[in-house]
Amino acid sequence: MNRSETSKKKNDWLFILPAIFVVAVMTQIPFLLTVVYSTLRWNLARPDIPIVFSGIDNYLFFLKISDFTAVPEFYSIVLQTITVTVVALMICTVIGFLFSILLDHPIPGVNIARTLIMGPFFVMSTVTGVIWKTTILNTTFGWYGVLAKAVGLAPVDLLSYYPLPVIIFLFCWQWIPFFVLIMLAGLQGISGELVDSMRIDGLKWWQSTFWVKLPLIMNHIRVAVMLGLVFIVKEFGLILVTTAGGPGTRSYTLPYQVYMQIFSASNVGRAGALATMTVVLTLIAVNFVSKSMKKNNL
Amino acid sequence: MRLNPTLLLQPTARARKATKTVVLTVTIYTLAILYFSPILYMLLSGFKTEYQAVSPSFVFTPTLETYQSVLSDASLYTYLGNSIFQVLASSVLCLLLGLPAAFALAFGNFRKKGTRDKIYMWFLTTILLPPVAVLIPLYTWFHAWQLNTTPLGLLMAYVGFHVPIVVWMLYSFFADIPTEIMEASEIDGCTRFQQMMHIAVPLVRTGIISACLLVAVFIWNEFFLGFNLTGNDTATLPVYMSRFREQQGMFIAQLSASSTIAILPAIVLGWITQKSLVKGLTLGAVKG
Repeated sequence: MNRSETSKKKNDWLFILPAIFVVAVMTQIPFLLTVVYSTLRWNLARPDIPIVFSGIDNYLFFLKISDFTAVPEFYSIVLQTITVTVVALMICTVIGFLFSILLDHPIPGVNIARTLIMGPFFVMSTVTGVIWKTTILNTTFGWYGVLAKAVGLAPVDLLSYYPLPVIIFLFCWQWIPFFVLIMLAGLQGISGELVDSMRIDGLKWWQSTFWVKLPLIMNHIRVAVMLGLVFIVKEFGLILVTTAGGPGTRSYTLPYQVYMQIFSASNVGRAGALATMTVVLTLIAVNFVSKSMKKNNL
Repeated sequence: MRLNPTLLLQPTARARKATKTVVLTVTIYTLAILYFSPILYMLLSGFKTEYQAVSPSFVFTPTLETYQSVLSDASLYTYLGNSIFQVLASSVLCLLLGLPAAFALAFGNFRKKGTRDKIYMWFLTTILLPPVAVLIPLYTWFHAWQLNTTPLGLLMAYVGFHVPIVVWMLYSFFADIPTEIMEASEIDGCTRFQQMMHIAVPLVRTGIISACLLVAVFIWNEFFLGFNLTGNDTATLPVYMSRFREQQGMFIAQLSASSTIAILPAIVLGWITQKSLVKGLTLGAVKG
């Protein structure tokens, strides 16, 4: 190998190593540490108790069901997390697809309509939460309260009685534009000739939409679902600002509980166990979605 | 010029098609306005007084009172400044780190065959990592070394988390460049660095812009790390906005004005760059 080729190889690694280093130090190494911490008995608020290795005790604290009439809270929280994720993703995909079909028409000024629908995606989650909570969902001062009274119905405090549906709704409001963005790009990539030939062949609109266009953009849908999955599991600000996980722990998700374990219970070991389990569940879910969508992708 | 098939239809069919277009247009616009209305209402309410804002209404006499009081709050500028710093600094750093990495991944020659894919996959899986997985060690480090009192701490975390996104998007843009161009430049005696700066970068300019903008929007809106890894001096705008969640009394006008200031940069940036954003996302995502 001549000199310029070896120096090129060295350059290649030099180009990559800084990025690998920074990413590893700020994400991978902390994650490994989290897993290590999950095996320790470590409570920040109890400096008198020494930090000792405790194996899988922290995991058992959450997973052990000693008595089936009192299933630990952990399982409800996992169920809540899964419910929010699955329902939100389904709604985003279905409604996102319907919106993108609508927006695929060349009506006058369709760009303005697309721009308006795109807006909520760029709004930060804490603003979404406080705006909806204060100006809309509030039973006295919000549009919901005022409109309900105007129709003669008594407004129900939705955040207290239906915390999970509200959170799902708000997350969808923010993320449907993202799904629309990606699916619309896919739809517009479909060749005009194909559209013309479908019309010539006399296909009805629902046939051309669901039997032809939908399968063609499966790749785009898969990407949108995987990214949406990752982002909704991460969602924290929206929950903190609207329901603070309440009432009680009814709208806790796994990340929210990790946060509470650290900042409320000061228990690093248990927080570590929760965080590790969250990551494992997320990876399993992503893998599952990726494989099952690839399988159905013809 | 392509013949408009509509002109070939009979008059009744043409009328039917026109009605269809009208119905479609009305539906789409109604939907779009309804979807956007919470933000619209928020934009308008910033121009009300608190008294006017208490009862929901679209009819009011606008005033700049609320903006005056919001803009005279010194703490707003601290948070605003922190957000601006984080976005600018991390976008630049992510680009400085991610661009060469993506380039080397796309065009580098690695001795072992699978190395390129392994490294690329490694970057991709980092995108899937939820920030809860790193919060605990980062939190303890930040407290031990006082990193939460300087914006550099949060900056490093943001860069670490967003470089993979830049690598992911730029890699597929680079992969689109035909290898002949690179081979020709090698024959001409270009160094890797020259290849990158003079050939590859100009060709993927849109990709670079869209990657930067996506990362900028994500970091501007980022809440979890910004909330837990900062102190009062280093917190960002989303944290400032979260303080409105527990209000003694309703300050809807103030809330609306502050929210407008908080979201306007991201929305405007997002709108202007819609097209390149989509291209970057779908190219990077759909290809692999």
